Amino acid sequence: MVPSARIRGTMGMDELLQEFISETQETLEALAGEVVAWEADPSDRDRLDAIFRFFHTVKGSCGFLNLPRFERLSHAAEDVLSDIRAGKRVADPSTVSAVLGLMDRIGELAEAVAMGAALPNENDEFLIAALTTPSDATLTVEVEHGHAAAPVAVARQGGQSGPRTIRLPLSLIDQLMNGVSDMVLARNELSRKLRERSVDTELDTVFERLSTCVADMRDVISKTRMQRVERLFAAIPRMVRDLGRDLGKRIDLTLEGGDVEMDREMVEMVVDPLTHIVRNSIDHGIETPEKRRAAGKPETGQLRLEARQSGNQIVIVVTDDGAGIDTARLVEKAIAAGRLTPEAAARMSEADRLELIFQAGLSTANQVTAISGRGVGMDVVRANVERIGGLIALDNHPGRGLCITLRVPLTLTIIPGLIIRAGGLHFAIPRAAVVEILHDNNDTLQISEVGGAKIATIRGLRHSMIDLEDVLGMDKPVETGPRAIMVVRSATGVPFAMGVSAVDNHEELVIRPASPLVMASGVYAGMTLPDNGKPMLLLDAAGIASAAKLPTMIDDRAARQSDQEADAQSGVEMVAALRFEECSGERRLLQLSLIERVEDIDASLFGRSGGNAFVRLDGRLVPVANGLTDFGRDKISALRLRDGSVEACYPVAAVLDIVQMPMVPDMVAMHGHVSGVAVIDGEHLEVINPFALFASLPDGGIVERVRGRCLLADSDDGWTRDILAPLLRQAGQEVVMGLPDDAAVDPRDVLLLTGHDAAQTAGVMAGMIGCRIVHLRASPRAAGPQDSSIYRYDRDALMAAIAGGQG
Amino acid sequence: MDRLYLFATLAGTRIAVETGEVEAVVRLTDVSPVPGMGAHIAGLSALRSRVLTIIDVAALIHGVASPRVERGLAIIADISGHSYGLMVDGVTDICRVPEGELPLRGQIGPAWAPYARAIVEHEGHPWLLVSLAAFIEGGALAQAA
Repeated sequence: MVPSARIRGTMGMDELLQEFISETQETLEALAGEVVAWEADPSDRDRLDAIFRFFHTVKGSCGFLNLPRFERLSHAAEDVLSDIRAGKRVADPSTVSAVLGLMDRIGELAEAVAMGAALPNENDEFLIAALTTPSDATLTVEVEHGHAAAPVAVARQGGQSGPRTIRLPLSLIDQLMNGVSDMVLARNELSRKLRERSVDTELDTVFERLSTCVADMRDVISKTRMQRVERLFAAIPRMVRDLGRDLGKRIDLTLEGGDVEMDREMVEMVVDPLTHIVRNSIDHGIETPEKRRAAGKPETGQLRLEARQSGNQIVIVVTDDGAGIDTARLVEKAIAAGRLTPEAAARMSEADRLELIFQAGLSTANQVTAISGRGVGMDVVRANVERIGGLIALDNHPGRGLCITLRVPLTLTIIPGLIIRAGGLHFAIPRAAVVEILHDNNDTLQISEVGGAKIATIRGLRHSMIDLEDVLGMDKPVETGPRAIMVVRSATGVPFAMGVSAVDNHEELVIRPASPLVMASGVYAGMTLPDNGKPMLLLDAAGIASAAKLPTMIDDRAARQSDQEADAQSGVEMVAALRFEECSGERRLLQLSLIERVEDIDASLFGRSGGNAFVRLDGRLVPVANGLTDFGRDKISALRLRDGSVEACYPVAAVLDIVQMPMVPDMVAMHGHVSGVAVIDGEHLEVINPFALFASLPDGGIVERVRGRCLLADSDDGWTRDILAPLLRQAGQEVVMGLPDDAAVDPRDVLLLTGHDAAQTAGVMAGMIGCRIVHLRASPRAAGPQDSSIYRYDRDALMAAIAGGQG
Repeated sequence: MDRLYLFATLAGTRIAVETGEVEAVVRLTDVSPVPGMGAHIAGLSALRSRVLTIIDVAALIHGVASPRVERGLAIIADISGHSYGLMVDGVTDICRVPEGELPLRGQIGPAWAPYARAIVEHEGHPWLLVSLAAFIEGGALAQAA
């Protein structure tokens, strides 16, 4: 075969070729799962047709583009598939393998053409022969395995036909993203400039409209970055099938939630860890049919991948019903490797033992296999997941299976972070990396120095202690206040204490990659550009630990536990808290005792007045604690809060459950309404600060009746009813005919008396101390110097008197 | 050979840069330092919504950081997907040179050797033709590693 099948033609031809290659690669990716599903159910005509169409298209295009190898391969596959369609052949596993083999070869060739490299010079004849003669050659393979390969069942996902799409270069979308980012910055600057100048409502309105447009645009653009998780799953069925065959294991695969969307870059970042987890599951988790039978389990193992969105996170759960992790063996290995002392091991809890799986170089596998033993362990998986701001959790059931949960942020670019100050500069650190923050004057913390090494002992647990300034080679400025000590957990799993000047803030950060020059230092994970326009660096916890050359010996956590037994009685004080989801998607906690009840409220009852949000409940106006009034749906769940006297309403997206949270958050980070972060079931949740919440409510609640009422005492009087009342109403006053029954009179109320009944006046006055009274008289002239009454047609004097009373 | 060159002075030396490599020349205002790095990385600076890594080229060549007050102009360049600002002492001119590149003559100093490609004649002076990418990929990354 001449390696130059590539055409050196006109530009038009090159473009056609490119188009053909990228289309072929994309279809191949999508089809890999289909072929496997088709094998499981050979009667599935739709899938067979889809596969047939692929080869048919490839054959047609490469005839035109003069790619003879592509043509031969696709022609052979097309022949066989058309026989199967006509019912002349059946789709047995060997045929499917051969079809897959052809697809792989076409993929390899396409890759080579795309890179402009020489085509791989292998013999296609063997592949084609395997396809056309389903004879001894393939049969012997089957015999070696002892049994036929287990078909892999794939849950069918979604419809076949999608919405209309076009192909766009990524660079164009990135350019668009940058443009929109620039626009947002320009908007912010404009907003600052506008605030400095005099108030112009017209200009403000136009600016508001512009802001809304920019915000909408940013939302839409960020959607172009989203991709269905399906793509992440595309390669899994094929991998499961092939691995299952190689290892002689039977696996029933279920994929769910492929239509969940996540950031394109995030998909790329998750592919490797996920692939590794699935490989591990098949290689070490699910047992061979014989072993499974002996253990009383069905011969076919279950492997389940599930993706779902939860707030601003994507949760991917991989569950198998295999052997689980043998923690005893992990401990043995750790002791053998000198990473753990037997005494410490004896005191370890089961959860701590399980954590050992994340230690570099420890694996339960007896020997390195070709499948997952490539020197890549769970430590690397964890490091990769945490690098993108994700979390990994294990739920181990020895002998019955393992459930691995990956939580990754929706987009790679936005992560929750803490802003810290050290050496006079600001840095960001992913919140997920921070376990705890203390001030160095805290009683539970003790810092000692031994031979130059600093050790921070926090509640009996010893941590290596470093100062960020020392690691980065900065001068430590003279500080007045206490320093903040953060307990940081690096990817290798050994937490350490890091001293910084202060922890300033807690923010959602837009992270972008730093240049390779900066990344080469190893202590930075990226950078971010906050609103103030000063670039800030994102610290890499693991990088700092290795730059400081911290020991990686696993600390004796159990020792802390025994030390803490006594402490535990007084222990961490727990309180009941409501876990809920904010309208913006975050999950937060609020102390349960503050919540009077939870109810669904009509969205139309929410409104805004003088910059404050309120909701009309039971005829009263109740302030809305988080200032939201617009929900885009009819009913909204709301928490009714009460601090004894003040009432507030807190609309939320959903109420989740009631949990126990520590009285003092695991990590204190005051910021807005949030007092810190508590870790509940491995999830970092922000805790609402009730003090800040109530303190931020408008002073004295919202008083709907900002002005006083006019009480018209002589409600029977014709003039009062027909002339005075309409005049007052027209002037915007609230008019009450007669005296209120309950005599609830506000000092701002004005009582109007027509004055001809002195006895009535005296009686009323006795009952209304502090309320202003205006006397009206029928005569234009005052009765005498003592007469403070107002002529009833003197409109200006009347209005002035009422306004004066209402202050 | 009728190429467009940017003429500038850098660490007291006359240099020429092919304009194809140059995106813009800006006056640096605010540079946030990056601690823990060599002297050749002056810091980060924001240009609209982009973040530039500012390279103190003089420090790269002579190993001594430029004093902060002298930080003035920087040549902005996009090198393998990242934006950099390369600090220069001053920018003289942008013009076409009909003769184009001339081969190097004389013994080039070892500090300059990795970056110099050729000589460009302009207004009767020889200007050292340098590649911006070489500063980043050849010099800075090697020193950072």
